[in-house]
Amino acid sequence: MKKILQIGWKDLRVIFRDRAALILMLLAPFAMTVGMGLVTGALSSSGGGLSQVPVVVVNLDQSTLGNALVEVLKSPELSKLLVVEENNDVTAARALLDADQTAAVVIIPVGFTASVIPQDGQAISADAQIEIYKNPSRTISTGVVQSIVESFLNEVETGRIGGQVAVAQLLASGLVPQQQAVQVGMQIGTRLANERGNLQTLILNTRQASVSEAPSFLMYIAPGFALLFLMYTVSLGGKTLLTERQEGTLTRLMTTPTGPSQVLVGKMAGTYMLGLAQMTILITASALLLGLRWGDPLAMVILLLTTVAAATGWGMLLAAFSRTPGQVSSIGMAMTLLFGLVGGSFFGGVMPGVIGYIGMLTPNYWGQKGFNTLANGGNMQDLLPVYAATLVMAAILLVISIFIFRRKGLLQK
Amino acid sequence: MSKIIAIARKDIKIRFSGKTELLFFLFLPLIFTLLLSGVLFGGGVNKIVMVVVDEDNSDISGKLVSLLQSSEAVAPSVLAQEKAQETFDNRDAAAILIIPSGMESSLKAGQTVSLDFTLDPSNNNGLAVQQEVQKAIGQISRSLAVANASTREAEQIQPFTDATQRQAYYDQSLATGQQMFDTAPVRIVITQPENAAEIQSQKETQAAQASAGQLIIWVFIPLLGTSELMAYERVWGTLRRLVTTPTRKPTFLLGTITGQLSSGLVQMLMLVVIGVVLLKVPWGQNPLALLLLLISFGLASVAMGTMLGTFTRTPSQANGLSISLGMVMGLLGGCMFPLEMFPPAVANVAKILPTTWAMMGMTQLTMYNAGLLQILPYAAVLLGFSVVFFIVGIWRFRYE
Repeated sequence: MKKILQIGWKDLRVIFRDRAALILMLLAPFAMTVGMGLVTGALSSSGGGLSQVPVVVVNLDQSTLGNALVEVLKSPELSKLLVVEENNDVTAARALLDADQTAAVVIIPVGFTASVIPQDGQAISADAQIEIYKNPSRTISTGVVQSIVESFLNEVETGRIGGQVAVAQLLASGLVPQQQAVQVGMQIGTRLANERGNLQTLILNTRQASVSEAPSFLMYIAPGFALLFLMYTVSLGGKTLLTERQEGTLTRLMTTPTGPSQVLVGKMAGTYMLGLAQMTILITASALLLGLRWGDPLAMVILLLTTVAAATGWGMLLAAFSRTPGQVSSIGMAMTLLFGLVGGSFFGGVMPGVIGYIGMLTPNYWGQKGFNTLANGGNMQDLLPVYAATLVMAAILLVISIFIFRRKGLLQK
Repeated sequence: MSKIIAIARKDIKIRFSGKTELLFFLFLPLIFTLLLSGVLFGGGVNKIVMVVVDEDNSDISGKLVSLLQSSEAVAPSVLAQEKAQETFDNRDAAAILIIPSGMESSLKAGQTVSLDFTLDPSNNNGLAVQQEVQKAIGQISRSLAVANASTREAEQIQPFTDATQRQAYYDQSLATGQQMFDTAPVRIVITQPENAAEIQSQKETQAAQASAGQLIIWVFIPLLGTSELMAYERVWGTLRRLVTTPTRKPTFLLGTITGQLSSGLVQMLMLVVIGVVLLKVPWGQNPLALLLLLISFGLASVAMGTMLGTFTRTPSQANGLSISLGMVMGLLGGCMFPLEMFPPAVANVAKILPTTWAMMGMTQLTMYNAGLLQILPYAAVLLGFSVVFFIVGIWRFRYE
């Protein structure tokens, strides 16, 4: 046992002295976490996601409905989502969008109100359409602006048709005589126009999840990137075995009273300790520097132990199949990135559909699932499936690795 | 000139000496592009994800879900209550909408129904989803709203004698309302700049984003790897040996840059072809503009690699830094997530990175069919980066 630990400890020290390795093991995942925090807004107080979408409104209507739409777009409820600028010049507004200065231009044409509501007993004028001039490179932003305008138009249309249907029905049922139709129509139309928003029979009862229900996005993405680079670390561990063989130190080791099994298990222990050390440093650093709280400490420790075991299994399997240290490096990096993609490490969550199922073959998937459960207040019991899956994965992969190592005679005296 | 070509050939030979290089040159970029564009397994959706719990399972609730599914901004997933809550809690969705059971029957009875909608307060995407849901429920319930209003007006004049008479009046109003909505004039028109590419759907935009973003990342990282090549030659003493030959510093650097840039250009062109053939991304509308942008991006990347090479001591150090910097700069440059989703301040600060300018230029190419003139500002900024990086690189370059 002592020899095994000594071999493992030696590998750990050698790799932790290598500044280059530390860049990818510690600096890269931390930098990616901070980068992700910046782009998603998780590190800022204003929150992440779509915000302050620049919109230019050209209100050529300057009447009831045109003004109402401008009011809606500039309403306090949408102030976080939209930054609305009014402009009277259609050409100038379009030029702003052409220069990618705005996401959308909403042009309310002259006579828009008159095309919907009869003015002073006059028949409605020809249809005037609101134009949304959209920026093709900002499809999500323009989609949202379009929805807001369409919602408004829907309410307008509901008011207009509501008035017409009410009058038509009253006339048909004889509740209102024909000669009073115009007067009643005006009354109902005015009332429904004022009630525009209250006509809805389906109401959205909106609430915000409370703070305790919503842990920071960093709680998901920090372990994601730690798991991503854990796969690089375990490949590094497996690489030491082939490096020692190439440089002859493995042969020298075999001349000492140390059995092949001890060397192999020592190498596995070294890889395992390396992964464990990396994950512990990253998780501690994210707690201290980013203020993340990881919940049940015992559950997390077991999660680290089992997830790193599964990752070590992959690292050893890679070493068993590879012929040179260079091969381990290249394939190890490819494995790191692919596992990260299908295991959801790049997004801090589980990938949807078929990719999600493929991802189940990776320690990234299970580790991510475990950390997400912890972030949401889960305990040891909730993590039992994750513990079981990672331990089974570790056992299978390590047994296969040992079998291949023996078959290749890698550790023969 | 022959020296430059000889050095370039030697570098390319070194780079492709192992078969595994093809993994990074073509295989992984291809897999990442296809997965993130949604072509493979429909993964990597760029829309804002929301979850819907449909407890009603009725025609109306089905229509509501279909309307949300047709949205350009949101991607709804219909899940059971527990799974939906778990997805929302895991931050895999920006909002959760619950359609209560009995909604359709209540609506048909003229009653008002509330839908519970919960959004994530730390993510503004919830507000965007709210607008989409508001629009969808408006469209679903407008005929019902009209029937309600009409029945209420009649009731105010004269109460109905019984429930049957009321229901008949309501049904008649509903039918008339639906008919009028069907024939209502279209009051909105969507336009886009005349030179915009014919990209309409969110899916096509996503493919263009994935194609450009992955091209930048997978070319940028190996070109930053020029630093590894330089460190390698320094460590193995081949640079010192070069001093004994009649080769000047600029010749050596030019040779290294030519080799790296050539392989980078070949890789970029292959990824462009993949984008055109497999993802139907309109890369090739203005080949000259495309070439100018690719060359200036390649130059900026290789220049940065050259500069980085003068700061690192060992090849493995250079390799680690290239990968780390490449991934972070790719992320901040909008290559993984669209820049429009970034907080505005971060999007502005990200403009100090060459990856951001490359991404903006490529967006102009794929979305606006930008010509040579429109691409010039982006190419100029990238060439500016190249000059600065090269100056620092040459200034700090040492043979030992």
